This record gives sequence, C-alpha cells and structure tokens, in this order.
Amino acid sequence: MLWAIWTVSLILSLASLAVMVGLILKRVHSERRTARDASLRKRALSGLVRFSGDRDAAALDEALAGAPMLIVADAASEFMALVRGDDRNAVVAALAVRGLPAFLAQELKARNEPRRLHAAEMMAEFPVEIACVPLMASLVRDRAREVRIAAAISLADVGALPPLSVLLGKIGVRGQRSRRLVELFRKFPAAQAGELRAYAIDEQGTPFVRAAAIEALSTTGGIEDGTILPALAEDPSPDVAAAAIRALGRIGHPDAVGPVIRAMTNQDWEVRAEAAEAARRLGVRDVLTPLIGLLEDDSWPVRYAAAKAVRELGDEGLDFLRALASSDTSRSQRTASLVLSEGIAA
Amino acid sequence: MTSGWSEDAILIATIVSWGVIGSGIAQTTVYMLQLLIAGYALSRRPPVARSSLLWHRYGDVAPPIALIVPCYNEALNVVESVHSMLALEYPNFEVIVVNDGSKDDTLARLVEAFRLVQFSRPFDETLNHAPVRGVYSSPLNERLVVVDKANGGKADAQNAGINVSRAPVFCVIDGDSILEPDALMRASQPFIDDPERVIAVGGTIRIANGSLIENGRVREIHLPTRILPLLQVVEYLRAFLMARLAWSRINTLLLISGAFGVFRRAEVVAVGGFTKGSMGEDLDLIIKLHRHMIERGKKYRIEFIPEPVCWTEAPESLKVLARQRSRWQRGALEVFFRYRTMLFNPRYGRVGMLGFGHMLVVDVLGPVTEVLGYILMPAFWLLGLLSTEHFLAFTALVFTYGVAISVCSLILEETELKRFPRARDLALLTAAAVFENFGYRQLNNFWRVKGYWQYLRADTNWGEMTRTGLSTAKK
Repeated sequence: MLWAIWTVSLILSLASLAVMVGLILKRVHSERRTARDASLRKRALSGLVRFSGDRDAAALDEALAGAPMLIVADAASEFMALVRGDDRNAVVAALAVRGLPAFLAQELKARNEPRRLHAAEMMAEFPVEIACVPLMASLVRDRAREVRIAAAISLADVGALPPLSVLLGKIGVRGQRSRRLVELFRKFPAAQAGELRAYAIDEQGTPFVRAAAIEALSTTGGIEDGTILPALAEDPSPDVAAAAIRALGRIGHPDAVGPVIRAMTNQDWEVRAEAAEAARRLGVRDVLTPLIGLLEDDSWPVRYAAAKAVRELGDEGLDFLRALASSDTSRSQRTASLVLSEGIAA
Repeated sequence: MTSGWSEDAILIATIVSWGVIGSGIAQTTVYMLQLLIAGYALSRRPPVARSSLLWHRYGDVAPPIALIVPCYNEALNVVESVHSMLALEYPNFEVIVVNDGSKDDTLARLVEAFRLVQFSRPFDETLNHAPVRGVYSSPLNERLVVVDKANGGKADAQNAGINVSRAPVFCVIDGDSILEPDALMRASQPFIDDPERVIAVGGTIRIANGSLIENGRVREIHLPTRILPLLQVVEYLRAFLMARLAWSRINTLLLISGAFGVFRRAEVVAVGGFTKGSMGEDLDLIIKLHRHMIERGKKYRIEFIPEPVCWTEAPESLKVLARQRSRWQRGALEVFFRYRTMLFNPRYGRVGMLGFGHMLVVDVLGPVTEVLGYILMPAFWLLGLLSTEHFLAFTALVFTYGVAISVCSLILEETELKRFPRARDLALLTAAAVFENFGYRQLNNFWRVKGYWQYLRADTNWGEMTRTGLSTAKK
C-alpha cells in the first residue's frame, strides 16, 4: 500500500504536468488564432455598421468573408443591441440571407449551456417563420430550464407563444423559482392575458408562478378587474398575497383599501410590509389608523414602511408622528422620530 | 535496517508515522474529491463570458443590492475604491461605506472627494454595534451613503452597514478590494434563478498584484512579479476554483470570503449578523446560516460562482503573510470549536459530516500532523526506525500529491475559464504550482501551527495588514 501511495502520486503528478504542458501548447497555438479572430470580428462589426448606413450587400459580404459564423454571430449580437428601427431590420434580413438563423439553430443543440442560451436569445431577432420551429424545439427538448425559459421569451418576442398550459408544461413548474418568469409573463400578448389571469386565481397553481403572473399582469394592465386582486390578497400563500397587495398599490384600485387594511394583520411580515407600502401609494385617510398599529410591529421593515406611509398622509399623518415622537420612549416613538428626521437624501 | 532499536521505539515510530500518513491520506482524499466535484460543477455550469448579455438577461429582474464596505484606516485607497464601486454595472444598488472609527483621515478624504453632508436616515437597530456618530450622503451621487461610527472591528462595522441598508440583498466587500464592473450582476444571478432558496453567494477572489490598475479598475491582467504573491495566485485558484466550487455544488460551502460575499438580509439579521470579535467572522456567519436554516427545516442554497468578481492585494512580505495565515488558522479553530457540536452530527447532514469533517481533517488535524511529519519522519528514517516505504509514502503525501492537485486546479482553470491571457502566464503558474509544494506549503503549515499556538493562548490580536495600495499600476 505504501509503495502504491508513492507510485500513484508520481503517476498523477506526471500526468497532470503532461496535460498542462499540452494545454500550454494549445494556448500558444490559440493565441495566434485569437488575434486572427479579433481582427475578423472587428472587420465584421465594421461591415455591419457600414451596411446599416449604405445597405451595400457586396461590401457586407466582403467584410464577413472568411469569418466563421460564430464570430459573425458574436459581432451581430453586439451590433444589434445598439441599433433599432429600419437599420436593424435591414441588418437582420441581411444576416438571415447569409445563414445566421441556420447557425443559431445548430447552436441551440450545442453541449455548452450558455451558448444555447445565447442562441435562443439571438433567435428572437429573426421573423417568426424562421425562428419559431427551432425555438419551439428548444422549448420542448432542452435539458436546461434557463434555456427553455429563454426560448419561451424569444417565442413571445417573435409572436409565437404557445398557450400558457403548454408553456408551463414544457418549462416545468415543479421547483420553478426563476425571476425570469416575470419577464416572460410581461411579454404575454394581450390576447393571452386571460390565460395568465386564470393561472393567477387557480388555487392549485404553484404559488411562485401565480405571484409572477400577478406581478406581470399588474405592470401590463392585465388585471384591473375589481374582484380578482382583492380576492388574491387574501390568498393563504404569502407569495401570492404579497404580489396581489403590491399590485393593488401599484394600480391604485378604489376597492384596494379593504384588502390592504386586512393584509396589515397578515402573519407574514413581507405581506404586512407590502400592505404598508400599498397604503402609502393609495394615500387615503382610512388607512391611517391601521398604519399606526403597524408602528409597533416586530419587524423593522414593516415599522419603517408604515411610518413612511403615515408621514405621506398629509398634515394629519405628520401631526400624529410629531405627537408620537414627543411621547414616552417606545418602539413606535423611536420609529416616528427617525422617520420625521429623515432628510431628502434618505 | 531497524536493528539496534528496541521494539517499543519501533512501535512508537510506526504508530506516529501511520498517524501522519493517515492524516495525509485523509487530506489528499478530500482534495481529490473536491477536484472531481469541481470539474463536474464547471462542466455543468460554464461561465457566461460577456457581461452585456447578463444585463440584457437579468437587468429587469435583478434585486436591489446594498454594497457594504467597512473601512478602517483605508485613506490610501478609499476614494478610488468608492469611485469604482459607484461605477459598477448594476441597475439598482447603493454603496454604504462604514468608517469604523479610522485613526487616519479616511472620513475626511471621503467628505472632501464626495462633498458629503450629514443627514438623518432612520435605520433598523436589530443588530448591535458601536454607536453611529453620523450618516452622510453625497450631492454628487445619490447611491452613496457613508456611516461614521466608533471603532468596533470589521464585524461590528459590517453589522452597522446591514442595519443601515434597506435592500433585501447586501454585498460585503473589503475597502481595499476592486470589484469587476459586472461583479454584482454575476453574483445576483443565483438570487434571480432561485430567489426563494438562495441565501448567500460567494465569488472568486483574484490577486491583483502585478496587474495594471487604473481608476479603480483592473485594466490588464498580469501575474505578480514577486514570488510570494505568485505562489498565492496558485493557492487562491486551488481554494476558490476547486474547494469552494466543489462544496457549493453539494451545498456544503462553509466559507464565503469576507472580501466578497452577497447575502439575503433577512436571514443574516435572523442569525444576529456577523459575530463580533471573531477571527473568522466570514466563516462564522456561513456556519450560523447553515445551522439556522437546517434547524428550521428550511430549504436553502449557499452558492459559489466561479467567475472572478473581486481583486485583492496579496501580502508581499513573509512577515505580513505569516500574520495573515496565523490569523486565518486562529479563525478556523475558533469557529470549529464554537460549533463543534455540528461535527459528524447527523442532524446537520452534509454540513456536519462533510463540511465539518473537512475542517477537522484540513484545519484542525492537518497542520499539526504535517509539521510533526516534517520533523519526525525524516528523523525516524535516518535513525533507522522507519522503512523507506513509509518515508516515500509521506513524501508523496506532502509533496507529489500536492503538485498533482495544484496542477489539476490550473487545468480546470484553463479548460473551463481561461482567465489568464497569455500562454507564458500558464507556464509560469505551472512552475509555481510545482514549486509551492517545496517550501511554501511547509512554511504555510508552520505559520498555521503558530496560529494554533496563538489560539491556545487565546491571543486575539489581529496583527496589522500592511498594504501598499492597489492604485499604483503594475508592481
């Protein structure tokens, strides 16, 4: 055994050194290639910039000549992030003719996850008739959830989003926690907003996904019905209730006052903090008394949000805070005096 | 070979040598395991190369972050560091600089450079810390908040920063560190991908000595020209790319470096923030977080991202390096014994078994047995008490396996990350990876044993970390 320890150590050391020498030699070779690639990329980027101005297809071909498609894709990605409108459309059309979508479709099958992710995002630049099939294939087949979400976002961008039930089935809701879901839901077309609303109110749905749906709908104006959000604000899931309260505050719905006041007694501190923040946005007198109750809350973020909301409720709120600040020392007295002393920069 | 010695002497030598060899085998096994897991983790999650892609992907859903920067006598670098932090690429963040009662003119430099004005900002008082003397804002940049407080140590300053912060996520960094422009964007990615479970994220710290630094940014990556920082480059690669990535993969990561860590505020407040007076406050916090989450039966993740996010200055003199390493050892021992009930405790799952098992083998037993081995094994062999096989096995465990492990972590770096720009850098690092096992590793273990001694004597002196400042280009 002792000899084995010695022998194995020698073999491992020599093998690792041999591999490292191989990697160094490979790097020497690739340093030359890297310099060449940088030059090709620069030329491709310049060609794209020129083409967006003069639409000279022959000059673009010359600029892209000899550049591997990976370099063209990289340069195109950087350029398209900077350009909009007709110029962008012209560049996209030119790249489509030169085979970039076919290359991206291949990239969607690459072993490397970031490459697949990037290809899924770039595919959104191309028209639906080009992008839809490879993106759907990626949504259905890719083993990485992040890539499936990216494919779904791109499908939304090109206007080929499948129904929500299909989408969630392919992305997978079990263990789903990515905040990118909010971004995906925000891109839902108006025609499909009903599906999101239905999922948001479905008590069997995954709370995280329901909360993401509520958040997205509240920013796109898809959930201004007077009954849905108040009901969701009473949901047993803190995720859903907090998202609904936040949405009520953001929308400023007239029926929001009751649910917001009730949420101030929720067991979850994040829901109570959202309720105080929503009350600040609503700015109606009815919330003053329950907000004052929150000044004694165990959680600092809740106390602070409540004190800020009281301060912004006009003279009555300010007078109350001043009286509280000059009363006997207590948790609410301290919070009131701190919020009153807060300067503009806070 | 062993004739002339009593059987007792031979027996004692054999037992001691097996103790030393056994400890070496345990350490080497842990490192090999880490290498395999880290290789798997990197192959499963290759890094994102371009930060503009991150911004495009996550910019809309990135959580607000408070960057907490404790400063003590950092007048040399503080203004430049703060400028570079304010220029970070992140959609929603604030920089909270906590001047921990500096004796130099750290605060005065900040006041002058950013035209700070004192203002009143209400803040949470859940975490205890030394009194705050004033909170300042800057009319030049609304993202900047400076907290001036009485001296209480790094953990105390970090706790004050946590109290003052309002974002759900905060990042702690050292005042003399330099962040990559996209550091927050990269570090926030786990909080976006898995916001319910992720409670802490660490990133790779790299050594900036030798690199070209301009305006608080690393403009050109170069290797240090001096031998000590060069050896530390290999050491950091091994520590971050191999050990932390591996333990992160199996959710057993026990250390997120105090030089750069991102945390969910609610959980850190729930565990009482950083432990004041601790030599290893960063290690202590992560163990507290593990314990808190496991005891409450909550699902959680403590993640590590392999991309370099933060640059720091490595000690260039033996004296300063020795102090640093002794202090790290004291910190590890202090935390290990403070939470010793977690060791091999099935209640704490992999953290108790693997994480604490690793600490026992590498931090508690490792240095002592290895230093004992340096002294006793050659002596036993020369005196004829020990066979050549025993001596060679010991040599393998303290030299040749070390070469294999260091070179393999370099291989990981080159195959998956390629962060060193030139082939000659790789050649130099390969030489350093071999060379560090013949002298530097042994020196390190002597310093760690010294730290052991200081721990036993309850010596709580941090020692001064002399820095020359990163703002000067290419050292």
